[in-house]
Amino acid sequence: MPHVSDVITARDLNKFRNLQVLARQVVEGFCSGLHRSPHKGFSVEFKEHRSYVPGDDIRTIDWKLFGKTDRLFIREYEEETNLRCTLLVDCSGSMGYSGSRSHGVTKHQYATATAASLAYLMLQQQDSVGLVTFDTDIRSYVPPRAQAKHLQPIINELQGTQPGEETELGDVIKKIEARIHRRGLVVIFSDLFGDVDQLMKSFARLRHANHEIILFQIFDPDELDFPFRQWTQFACLEQESNRHLVDPAQIRRSYLEKLSDFREQINNACNRHRISLVPMTTDQPFAETLASYLALRRRTQ
Amino acid sequence: MTFLNSALALGALAFVVPLVIHILNRSRFKKIDWGAMHLLESVIKVNHKRFRLDQLILLLVRCLIPALLAFCIARPLLTGSKTMEANTPVSLLLVLDGSYSMEASEKGGSKIKQAIEAARELVLSTHRGSDLYVLVLGDQPLPLFDQPVFDAEAVVSRLNNLEGGYGACDLRAALQNSLAILDKMNNAHRELVIISDFQRAEWMELLENGSAEIKQGLEGLDISPTLTLLPIGSPVEGNVSVDSIDFPRKAIGAGEPHAYRVNIVNHGKSARENTRVIFRVNGKEESVSQLTLPAGGSRQVLFTHAFSEPGSQVIEAEVMTDDPLTFDNRFSVSVTVWDRIPVVLVDGDPDPAPLMSETDFLQVALTPFALGRFQYADLAQSSTVNRETLDAKNIDAARVIVLANVSRLSVDQTRQLKTFVANGGVLFVFPGSQIDLKWYREELFENGSGILPAPFGRQKGKDSQPHRIVAQHFEHPSLELFNERSNGDLSDASINRWYLLEETTESGQDPLRKNASVIARLDNADPFLMECNYGKGVVLQMATTCDTDWTDLPRKPVFLPLMQQLVTTTASRMVPPRNLTTGEPVIAWLGNAGESATVTVQTPTGSERVIQSAEQDGQQVADYPFTNRPGVYSLATPEETIRYAVQTDRSESDLRLLDEDQLNSLAEKTGAIVVTSSTEYLQNDQLRRNGSEIWKFVLAGFLGFLFLEMVLQQRFSRARV
Repeated sequence: MPHVSDVITARDLNKFRNLQVLARQVVEGFCSGLHRSPHKGFSVEFKEHRSYVPGDDIRTIDWKLFGKTDRLFIREYEEETNLRCTLLVDCSGSMGYSGSRSHGVTKHQYATATAASLAYLMLQQQDSVGLVTFDTDIRSYVPPRAQAKHLQPIINELQGTQPGEETELGDVIKKIEARIHRRGLVVIFSDLFGDVDQLMKSFARLRHANHEIILFQIFDPDELDFPFRQWTQFACLEQESNRHLVDPAQIRRSYLEKLSDFREQINNACNRHRISLVPMTTDQPFAETLASYLALRRRTQ
Repeated sequence: MTFLNSALALGALAFVVPLVIHILNRSRFKKIDWGAMHLLESVIKVNHKRFRLDQLILLLVRCLIPALLAFCIARPLLTGSKTMEANTPVSLLLVLDGSYSMEASEKGGSKIKQAIEAARELVLSTHRGSDLYVLVLGDQPLPLFDQPVFDAEAVVSRLNNLEGGYGACDLRAALQNSLAILDKMNNAHRELVIISDFQRAEWMELLENGSAEIKQGLEGLDISPTLTLLPIGSPVEGNVSVDSIDFPRKAIGAGEPHAYRVNIVNHGKSARENTRVIFRVNGKEESVSQLTLPAGGSRQVLFTHAFSEPGSQVIEAEVMTDDPLTFDNRFSVSVTVWDRIPVVLVDGDPDPAPLMSETDFLQVALTPFALGRFQYADLAQSSTVNRETLDAKNIDAARVIVLANVSRLSVDQTRQLKTFVANGGVLFVFPGSQIDLKWYREELFENGSGILPAPFGRQKGKDSQPHRIVAQHFEHPSLELFNERSNGDLSDASINRWYLLEETTESGQDPLRKNASVIARLDNADPFLMECNYGKGVVLQMATTCDTDWTDLPRKPVFLPLMQQLVTTTASRMVPPRNLTTGEPVIAWLGNAGESATVTVQTPTGSERVIQSAEQDGQQVADYPFTNRPGVYSLATPEETIRYAVQTDRSESDLRLLDEDQLNSLAEKTGAIVVTSSTEYLQNDQLRRNGSEIWKFVLAGFLGFLFLEMVLQQRFSRARV
């Protein structure tokens, strides 16, 4: 059985141990946690007083204040709620790519490590974390739990999946949406290679359901600068029969233009839907990228 | 096309290298399992066909690059379809224009110097084993060597000593001459190079009429030579020349004043004012005249001079002006001044009564001053003898002998007379009632081989029907005077009776004597005066008497100038001539002296040569043939000093050249190549021998393709998105 340490090293953990994943927007949850909840209730964090209106729970009346002012005020607290976070990890074939500069780490492995770290972090702060692995369809679904021991099944699942098949993130999101009832945080680890329009439609639907989305777009450096020189046969990782023998020099420029267009499209769509897009390259240590993102997120809270 | 390093040309096979690399690349490709296929695929799909074409083009360019490099290193030569001669020897015939127009001075020295320099370069550039022949064009083509020579140094040393200043030549003949020389030269490749200023006066005729002939001549040779025209120098303007001096054709007597007309031509486009003309006699300045020469026109200056001394003299006119060609600014003429001309009149019908003797009128006509007791001296000095008293002494002392109505002479007298004429004497024959027609026909005419121009035929005419001399235009120098009517009219005289001078055979077709000519005719077309040369002398034969028996001509005033003209003109005819054109030999007859005489020749340059006379036809003859340079040649014989004026034709003085079109047309018509300098000729020669090296162009092509490859590579990577 894989252990956490197989996925995340202690050194990596140290980099973001003190950080917390804070939902930017209000999420619904039962347990107390670090996140704002729309439900006001008993808690330590006083929020405000307001005038009593009939129908209010009598238990919430601040009797001490009544004694001083002779008027009825309701004492309101801000309830801290736990976050329901769903991690979506792309297990399609394209995630299986590993270039020369990524030290043998496939994009999928990178995504796994990042997802595991995030899961660990969130479970640490008593948020509930679920996991969905997918390619064209949902491969497996681990429902969100807030117990610390829930990390193990998540890790098991992450470790157990191997990249293959094609991606169809749009369809997957449609199906996942049905399973996540409460609004929460959806974190997606994928290269997003696919039909951008359909993808964005799905994101729009998720956003409509008031989910907050963080998109970790994972690239291999090779995919960003296309460094190949000699004649190369590119075989599609998702479709065995799809092969092209080309002179990379001939197509580099247009490939890069195409890539830039693609990223631009994604970027624009994310901005439009207020989705946090975090591009990651597999040659950078994921812990650092994650830590800096979380730190940034905390600052802008 | 050939290569200097042919082995390296095999390096062109290196074109397979990019091909192999391409094929290897394609076969030993890297396999990559790629994730972002959707990005890649869209690019490939759009550009698939173009990629293949681009690759093909790029491959082609890359293949060309090593091939071009190898080609460049192999140093290719463009040779046309011919095989290269490299350093094989040639037969080079240089025709160098030595005419005096080449003496015209220019910035870079005279044209002849430039021409010699060019010739020198051409000669020195020939390869070992080349045979060379240099022909200098002048009045007479002058070869530097008699035979083609193989020693370039020797040719150069002679070229260095070469001087121009010869006259114009018959180009056509000279070129034909050079073709004949070319035919005898040794090497398989033959070059004919003409170095000249291509003066219009000289070349225009050839351009218009003779070029096809030259071309045919060139093509007709066994080995057809390459003809190259090398024009030297640039056009110069403003030449002034003394074209000629007109001097009296009749005998000039010592002390007699005569007029000498100097013809001066200004070939320039602007008039020359106050130009001085100096008249010299034997090198001593006698008179100076000043005149204005109109632009492009001619002027005549008249000088009058009386020679004090008899003998051979030279008059010279020089125009003092600053023009590009000084060579033609002076002209000299040799004249012979006579002290007296001894005339022996042989009277066949003497009569003591005045004017009744046969020769009385002649005597009056020849020595008018003596008879009229004028202060002037008669040039002719006549003495009258009878048929019987005519002897060797009389004959030897005479310059002119007149037979007037002499019936016949003795055998000895006849022989002496023939010798007299053969040695240059002048004989006049007048008929009359007493002459022995048979003797004249048999002894003097001798079927055309004797001294008489024509046999006397039957006597013609009646007293009642006089005939007259036709006053035509006379070509004979002695009668030229009468072309001007104011000098006397020969047709005034009535000719009543005369002998028919049988100029032709009975059929009237062929002349009886080939070298006899009719000087004047009667109005019935019978010959009146005939002339023939015999040996070095001349014989004049009249159809009627020299007294008034048959004609009233002796009574007419015209008789005096007629006789004076006939005697002085024929007697002054110098044989051999003393006014020569360059190239003609200077010849002096030294008489019958049996021993060879030493003669000193002074050339125009001042150098002296000593020659020995040799016997020809019983006479001692001094012959000096090297008269290529114009000027005065003096021959000092034991008896006297004879001056010869050697001149060139003045057609060269017009310094206009063939213009570029005309020169090209000449080249085209003769199949020649025109080069502007010896350097260009040598370059052409180099090209012909070795072809033109084109490695620079190939290198440029190579670099160009390298650059193209880079550009293409850049360009082809810009595939459609």
